[in-house]
Amino acid sequence: MVLKLTGSLLVTCSCGALGLWKAGQWREHLTMMEQLKKMIILLKGEILYAHAPLQEAFGHVGRKSEGILGQLFAGVEERIEQRRGDPFYVIWREEIEGRKKDLLLTDRERGELTAFGEHLGYLDLEMQEHTVALYLEQLEMSIQFYREHEREQTRLYTSLGIMGGLFLSLMMC
Amino acid sequence: MERKDQIIHIFAKDLRRILTQVETNFDEVQEIRLRIGAPLLLICRNREYYVTDKGTLKSVPGEAHIVGRDELKETMECISNHSLYAFEEELRQGFITIQGGHRIGVAGKTVVEDGQIRTMKYIACINVRLSHEILGCADPVMPYVCDNGTVRHTLIVSPPRCGKTTLLRDMIRQLSGGNRGCRGVTVGVVDERSELGACYQGIPQNDLGARTDILDCCPKAKGMMMLIRTMSPEVIAVDEIGSREDLEAVEYVMNCGCKLVATVHGSSVDDIRQKPVLQNMVRQRMFERYIILRGQAGRIDQIFDSRGCQLYGPERMAYGA
Repeated sequence: MVLKLTGSLLVTCSCGALGLWKAGQWREHLTMMEQLKKMIILLKGEILYAHAPLQEAFGHVGRKSEGILGQLFAGVEERIEQRRGDPFYVIWREEIEGRKKDLLLTDRERGELTAFGEHLGYLDLEMQEHTVALYLEQLEMSIQFYREHEREQTRLYTSLGIMGGLFLSLMMC
Repeated sequence: MERKDQIIHIFAKDLRRILTQVETNFDEVQEIRLRIGAPLLLICRNREYYVTDKGTLKSVPGEAHIVGRDELKETMECISNHSLYAFEEELRQGFITIQGGHRIGVAGKTVVEDGQIRTMKYIACINVRLSHEILGCADPVMPYVCDNGTVRHTLIVSPPRCGKTTLLRDMIRQLSGGNRGCRGVTVGVVDERSELGACYQGIPQNDLGARTDILDCCPKAKGMMMLIRTMSPEVIAVDEIGSREDLEAVEYVMNCGCKLVATVHGSSVDDIRQKPVLQNMVRQRMFERYIILRGQAGRIDQIFDSRGCQLYGPERMAYGA
């Protein structure tokens, strides 16, 4: 009996923890999107007001930021500095693909981020402004979605985890 | 990074492969010219060579590598470090200065708006002019420029490709660092085209001396005023003066007690006297020394004083004679 009870308790706790982890992931995702937005705004400042070339702009923003996104930007700076002759879009795409696992982005979000690099550096400052503005708009929409559903999703995952755990325990008993 | 590597990295992948195989001393290369649909040209020791696919230099165009549209486009991307927007102002003037002080001249279709060049598109010709820092090339002129411990207002007059920027750069270095005839003085440099200091992220790549303050990529006229107000220089150096605005700033500098060292396009002092904006300055004897160049960097043809007396040169004669 003690063994059964201990087992049930462990299953319930594990499932609850799984639910909490999933809810935490949602929050982490939102935090990453918000950090990305901040970094894009910083990048916009470097490009539009300091007229910094992409290498310098990505380097400055990358060093100011932490985590995987900071590493991504610093990695892009490093790749440009190597001057292998690859177009910027290829560098950007490869750096994103290389960090695919650590970037908590959905396929759609990763696609948007990759597409952002497609026109970066091309033509004049006006073009850069429009490219950044378009991406910021897409980011804002995603952030809005995550914010709106944060409370609901967190509750859903947590309760699903605990309920699932209880259900499994009952089934096992 | 070696000079050859530094230069090769600004070209498209295919051109890199060709230029890597070129067996010549890149310190002697003056220009590399790219034109869509035309042979790849390299100018070395004042001679023009066609570059073949295998990187050999030929004097006839037969086997020369023909530059493609994509190669030129890719080269532009490498030159601008994937950031053409950062060179908008330079493109309007038709050139980009890159790390190392090399000047990339471009030609294509200009986009004009309200009578002003807005940008350039369909870039079809690129001329890579390699910068040459020749330390000591100003040695022969320094006794004239720095006379009895006093720096003289000096104008270097030279046709293009005769090394006036190279000479001015070494003069700045010697004035700033000091030499046997002159103590080191504070020099303010307005480097509108980044050719003198070849600043990369604000740090000069060329040696301009320990007492030199550089205003990089700044319009000459505005820069001269700014330097006087903020850095209290004893000497101001500028390259390629010519516009009315520049000359007003030059007059202001001279009347502030600062000494001025400048360059101008021309072949003789008489030539300068024909230029509408410069003739008054020559007539008013504002410049105390005129250095006339011919041939390559460091080759001083003549030096005149403000009255037109020749101080140095093959034949002693006044410039008005």
